Amino acid sequence: MKAAPFEYHAPETPDEALDLLAEFGDEAKVLAGGQSLVPVLALRLARFEHLVDLNRIPALRYVQAGNGVTRIGAMTTHATIGGNAEIRRRVPLLAEATPHIGHFQIRNRGTIGGSLSHADPGAEYPAVALALDAEIILASARGTRTVAAAEFFTGTFTTVAEPDEVLMEVRFTGRPQGCAVLELARRHGDFALAGVACAVELDSADRIQSLRLALFGVSSTPVRATAAEQAVSGIAAGELDPAEVGRAALAGVSCVSDLHADASYRERVAAHLTGQAVRQALQQARQQSLEEARHG
Amino acid sequence: MAEHQLEVTVNGQPVTATVEPRLTLADFLRDRLRLTGTHLGCEHGVCGACTVLADGAAIRSCLVFAVQMQGAAITTVEGLTPDDGGLSDVQEAFRAEHGLQCGFCTPGFVVSVTAFLAEHPEPSTDEIRDGLSGNLCRCTGYQGIVRAVQAAVLARREARVG
Amino acid sequence: MAEPGATAGRYVGARVQRLEDPRLLAGRGRYIDDHTVPGMLHAAFVRSPVARGALGGVDVAAAQAMAGVAAVFTMDDFRDIFRPTFSTITGPSVGAPPLRPLADGDVRFTGDPIAIVVAESRYLAEDAAEAVDMDLEPLEPVLDSETGLDAGILVHPETGSNLAAQISSPADDERAFASAAHVVTETVSQHRYVAVPMEGRGLVASWEPGRGELTIWAATQAPHEMRSYCARMLGLPEHRVRVVMGDVGGGFGQKMFVTREEMAVVLASYRLGRPVRWIEDRAENLLAGGHARQEQATISMATDASGHLLAARVRHLENVGAYSVPGTGSVGGGVAAFFPGPYRLPSLSFTNQAVYTNTCGRCAYRGPWLFETVAREQMMDIVARAIGMDPLSLRRLNVITDGDLPYTSVTGMPYERISPAQTLEQAAELIGYDSFRRSQAVARAEGRYLGIGLSLYVEPIQTRGLLGSEGAILRVDPTGEITLIMGTASHGQSLETTMAQVVADVLGCDPASIVFIQGDTAVAPWGPGTGGSKSAVVAAGAAQLAAERMRDKMLQVAGYVLEIAPGDLELSGGSAHVRGDPEARLSFGQLAEAAYLNPAALPADIEPGLLVSARSVAPPVVLANACHACTVEVDVHTGLVTILRYVVSEDCGPMINPMVVEGQIAGGVAQGIGGVLLEHMVYDADGNPLTTTFMDYLLPTACEVPDVEYGHVVTPANTPGGFKGVGEGGAIGSPPAVINAVADALAPLGARITGTPLGPAQVLAAVAAATSR
Repeated sequence: MKAAPFEYHAPETPDEALDLLAEFGDEAKVLAGGQSLVPVLALRLARFEHLVDLNRIPALRYVQAGNGVTRIGAMTTHATIGGNAEIRRRVPLLAEATPHIGHFQIRNRGTIGGSLSHADPGAEYPAVALALDAEIILASARGTRTVAAAEFFTGTFTTVAEPDEVLMEVRFTGRPQGCAVLELARRHGDFALAGVACAVELDSADRIQSLRLALFGVSSTPVRATAAEQAVSGIAAGELDPAEVGRAALAGVSCVSDLHADASYRERVAAHLTGQAVRQALQQARQQSLEEARHG
Repeated sequence: MAEHQLEVTVNGQPVTATVEPRLTLADFLRDRLRLTGTHLGCEHGVCGACTVLADGAAIRSCLVFAVQMQGAAITTVEGLTPDDGGLSDVQEAFRAEHGLQCGFCTPGFVVSVTAFLAEHPEPSTDEIRDGLSGNLCRCTGYQGIVRAVQAAVLARREARVG
Repeated sequence: MAEPGATAGRYVGARVQRLEDPRLLAGRGRYIDDHTVPGMLHAAFVRSPVARGALGGVDVAAAQAMAGVAAVFTMDDFRDIFRPTFSTITGPSVGAPPLRPLADGDVRFTGDPIAIVVAESRYLAEDAAEAVDMDLEPLEPVLDSETGLDAGILVHPETGSNLAAQISSPADDERAFASAAHVVTETVSQHRYVAVPMEGRGLVASWEPGRGELTIWAATQAPHEMRSYCARMLGLPEHRVRVVMGDVGGGFGQKMFVTREEMAVVLASYRLGRPVRWIEDRAENLLAGGHARQEQATISMATDASGHLLAARVRHLENVGAYSVPGTGSVGGGVAAFFPGPYRLPSLSFTNQAVYTNTCGRCAYRGPWLFETVAREQMMDIVARAIGMDPLSLRRLNVITDGDLPYTSVTGMPYERISPAQTLEQAAELIGYDSFRRSQAVARAEGRYLGIGLSLYVEPIQTRGLLGSEGAILRVDPTGEITLIMGTASHGQSLETTMAQVVADVLGCDPASIVFIQGDTAVAPWGPGTGGSKSAVVAAGAAQLAAERMRDKMLQVAGYVLEIAPGDLELSGGSAHVRGDPEARLSFGQLAEAAYLNPAALPADIEPGLLVSARSVAPPVVLANACHACTVEVDVHTGLVTILRYVVSEDCGPMINPMVVEGQIAGGVAQGIGGVLLEHMVYDADGNPLTTTFMDYLLPTACEVPDVEYGHVVTPANTPGGFKGVGEGGAIGSPPAVINAVADALAPLGARITGTPLGPAQVLAAVAAATSR
């Protein structure tokens, strides 16, 4: 199972990478962690004349936090994200999601930029980005643009990124109080058959200030359950029926059928997991409220 | 396709070679350096038989190209043998607990466990199983492997205390 | 019960650490992909992308012109040198189509090898394989055994029918069914899942025309079979073919017989006069390495009012794919013979049909006939629930007990020296059956669904016919070092250690001092290969006999040197000495020196040297038995099944190395758990396989296999040492234990579980179907 031949490039700056992509167009593919791309190449499901390896660009590996914004360089690995104290504090949903991703050997190489760009419908980070309205920075030789997560994912393994664009950074703002990432996978570490990333903020009166729900594994892209979120805005946390929220989250979602599960299975399980995630996130949010109240 | 000059350290020894870009690290180690302890069980990054350490981190060597490892320090299962020969404590634990039968998956497990214990010196049994879940074994049902990790943890704890 | 030759020495019976381990742990094993031969070329196959099609011309010109390509061969290139032949064990009379190395005029399953590319590297061979063009007209395939006989499409036109094999039964026992208080009928199905050794198939074949020798280094479970087969295939005398087996990364039956790609590699080497290597990759292994298990049966069981089994009727249907190895791939005979299992079943009517389809053919996979246990044990639970009995009680009522032995089953199987009732009770006790029923009730009241499943079976150790004999050569060199040479092909079974334990007990030495050589047909005595759970019977039997002969020889020489009657001497601590007086001793080195270095000085009745050989013959019927018990929790919201506890009560007779026995059981249990809950080889409606990578064909990891708890019952066989053998049992007993536990958990919901797969979607569908009724 050997890849077809390709030319290899290892730029050391982002600009070098962008110039290479401008030169080679869709004959080139960016190589990030390789945990998803290299199997595709080995199986000869796809081939490219040129691979542009981003692993030698230190300027793409960083976690910077300030002014309520957490900026993560695209080549930051899952392992780094999972162990980063700033991210644990500021973007806990990302920290929650990380242990679900594959296995530690995968996480040592896999990157957040790669995960978002690859856009596997069963992946966790795209759902987290969608749930938190993250901003995705794309750059090419033609310039830089910022894309909202809600616009970024367009289909199975498909994003708005052009072949000559490189995902440079992802930005998270805000700091939800309670969060949960739950998924149903056949085995631990597998891509989810159904999953949910949930973040909730409560106001000082214990009412829902914001509920964020992004489903993954059920459709061709992660899905934001906007209607279900809006339906509970302002409701007292104690009066919320998480199971009902779960059912509402799946209303109108077109679930996919494949080898591992059909649409009705995905719908049923996603609704159940969403209910559980809401319950968990609420509990965490209320606990944090209590602690904040205690410590004044 | 253009070949590239590669300089890496493998098991402490500097190596220089010229490689085709698509040559995987696994094939480089096995075919060029004759370090055949690293095995190929799937070549698509699931089974873990090809696990090596790159700058101390456990990775699937079938999912990186050799050329990507420029400047890195690679440790294979062969590099885990103590200087005076014999077996490392993890390897001894596998032997004591019957953690292998055909032995094909074993180097991948030994390298993964070595890395895992460096990060998790006091894992619970659930954490051990989780840490092992990135390596597949078809012979043992994982019984002896889980026990081997538990035994290694215990032995290291006793060595620290005693 | 008599205890023939029970050997409980210093090493036999002990958990001796393995002699194989140091090299394997250090990454110094020698697997086939580690082996290089100077000048060797590398092979890759061009395979059919469709399940069935008419194959016209194959254009290899572009591929042949590519850099580094030595040759591209199709069937046309082998026609003049290839002689169709059959596996030795099935012989030529079995009625299956002969295996051809490459497709010839048509393709019969997706993955069917069409051409073999031979190049300087595997990378280049795969590049060239893509450049092979062919004239392939896809045709409608037949994929199901249910419709395969009526589809009007022939998988193998030469055979004239898609019926690969059948068993017709004498008429039903109509009276038994008519008069029975209860008749329960169900169709139980088992899906397709596969062996997946961590190392795929592989070989380096080297035909040296100047020497007239064919040497094959192979990942094989049966080097002598490979030698015989390839010799016949090329019309070579058998002793001009040498097969060498190094370390092998598992087989589970998939490497027991010669397969088509291996044939093509040998032929390619023969054609080229150069060494050719082929290492199967994982996609090939899943696609074409040999499948297994896909079968179903409609079963009726009749009982009296108390639950005594009166009669059973089984209609068994198998999907054997195309190009099975060996023979037709049908296991109907084994399923029929052992369907009664460990119960008193007075009457059985069994019919079978095995159907060819345009899918990958079968290989032997760990307990190939295990559907008899899978189906019967599910039926026992289904019957129990139907008639209002606990499944344990129904088994207790019907199980063959000591008082029934010797017992001949309704299928003519002679049962003796088995202990199903004891294992049933031990497993029930170990799992805490009664207290689990109480916990289960409490959990149900809380809305949690726990279940318990039992599986009880009798296992035939495969010692019939040519499988029943192994050979052993023991050699002590002039320095006193011991070498054991056997015709075995251990590939995870730890024979390097267990055979050394047997020999060490007889010769009074340390097992670690014994060098074990196997798998080289140039030096090893003929053997049937390693598989079929028989090593402890047949191989250990040979090792034991050889060791006894060597002991006698050594004592004879020692007696001569020490001028003491051999009968007053014994071997221990690596020396010969007077019984009870370790002081006057002759080390093995001194003994060997005397045997080798001054031959003329030896008396006339002592042959110089220290070399003996022996061959065992095992009884044709040796039976082991076990009971598996499993508890699970089923999440009715997600369909996920969590195994809580898993218990095996095993009777394989005395154990040479309990650690090895338990390891073999555990590996089989993991394959059963995987088979039921995770593994599924799936084809789409066009015959395209959907599960040809580990992303989609899901193997259990350490998170999916619980701790396995063991109980041992010991009923010796009528063999030296009393050993029975173990190997397949874990895989046989486990699927129904898990299935029954899931069914038991969901029984209060009225869910019908009648087979596998039981992934979360299937479990949830069963729950949904029940709650909607």
